[in-house]
Amino acid sequence: MMDFLSGLEQSGFATWVRESNSLFAYPSVLFLHTVGMGFVAGISALIDLRILGCAPEVPLSDMRRVLPYMWAGFWLNAATGIVLFTVDATTKAVSPVFYVKMAFIAMAVVVAWLIKSQVLRDGLLNKRPIDSNGKILAFVSILCWMGAITAGRLLAYIGPGVVSSGGK
Amino acid sequence: MSLANLAHLHLLLNHFPTIGFGIALGLFFVSLAGKSDDLKRASLVIFLVIALLAIPLYMSGKAAEQAIAGRPGVSETLMETHQDAALLAFVFMEITGLIAWLALWQFRRFSHPARWNLSAVLVLSIVTFGLMARAANIGGEIRHPEITSEGTVDSDTEWLKSASIASFINTTAWAWPAIETLHFIGLSLLLGVAFVVNLRVLGVVKNVSFAAFHRMLPWGVLGFGVNLATGVLFFITVPEQYTQNIALHLKMVLILLAGVNVLYFTVFDEPWALGPGDDAPLKAKIIAASTLVLWIGVIYFGRMMPFIGGSF
Repeated sequence: MMDFLSGLEQSGFATWVRESNSLFAYPSVLFLHTVGMGFVAGISALIDLRILGCAPEVPLSDMRRVLPYMWAGFWLNAATGIVLFTVDATTKAVSPVFYVKMAFIAMAVVVAWLIKSQVLRDGLLNKRPIDSNGKILAFVSILCWMGAITAGRLLAYIGPGVVSSGGK
Repeated sequence: MSLANLAHLHLLLNHFPTIGFGIALGLFFVSLAGKSDDLKRASLVIFLVIALLAIPLYMSGKAAEQAIAGRPGVSETLMETHQDAALLAFVFMEITGLIAWLALWQFRRFSHPARWNLSAVLVLSIVTFGLMARAANIGGEIRHPEITSEGTVDSDTEWLKSASIASFINTTAWAWPAIETLHFIGLSLLLGVAFVVNLRVLGVVKNVSFAAFHRMLPWGVLGFGVNLATGVLFFITVPEQYTQNIALHLKMVLILLAGVNVLYFTVFDEPWALGPGDDAPLKAKIIAASTLVLWIGVIYFGRMMPFIGGSF
């Protein structure tokens, strides 16, 4: 397994992303990962806030229409996240914080799917108040994304391979 | 930008907060006495615009300090006192700006602001005016000994001290990562609201009125407030890595432009009048699209700070 990971890390593409001085290499991947984060966590938070009672004049059936943009952010981050992983695959693969982040994201995806199938698919969606199950799901979704963002940030500070002091 | 240019910017902007808040306060008094909602909204807009201008003013102060540090007759202690007095005034000014924005939002939402709100703006703006005038006066003394009164003691007695905040964050292991995490969470909230609200204007969720989406705006402004506070903490902790960073300067320009767009969506009737099914006018669509581009640009230059300018 480690051989495979170090092969990834030493591949031409990963080396270019890691070592090129071009702004299109590592900096741009990080930038896209940040924009994707804003889209997936931000839009998800708004859907959750709407379920929790914010902006009640916006029908929930219409909030469904912003879901594709949330998933666009998700897939952008899945793609850029894979690139960021290959750049130092051998250290990320042994970092507990990395697995904590992945666990939060996996939970957030499951919760997003439950919200879509149990809350947003309800035929009487706009006719009756959201039940407590829906509200708990929305709350857990917010917590999961905050957890994923926190763990993602801590990757720069905790665990193996931490060489810099993050943003300072 | 060079230190000299940033010092220029500091000298150019430094009269705006005191004079601007003075004018806005005068107008606010008149509007309260004359019970004129239009004048109330006008003074709230001035409070908000001045609070936005205070951001580059505060940040350029560090460069102005570096530009004249060590020159004969320039007191380091006086500059530090000015910096701390300015920080206190700045904090009050930004809180006033945020509450003034909330009042403008409430004018839309309920057709009049909550009773506590205008009183809060009144009290906060008077306090801010006093604090800002004091900070400006201490700042003036740095290069104008003629205004210094006899027997002024040269010691920094401010209670909100930039140096103490910086040393706390520098010596506390979790502080910097925690502030960064909050900055990222604030970013997500801000971008999410900007995106969904502007999507309505652009026509994606057209069958819902703009007024319905307007209720989400405070969450975006909350995200902005979190990021302003955490951003200023970064700046206070390691100012030398930011003062001359061109990516940060561009980021600030884009933030101010995006702030103007937020005013458009809060104050102007045009987007507000969009009922269910209404197509937004071209102007509103251009402003909505530019808001999204501006915030993504803000994220770009924020992310590029370590890579462009190379001061990290």
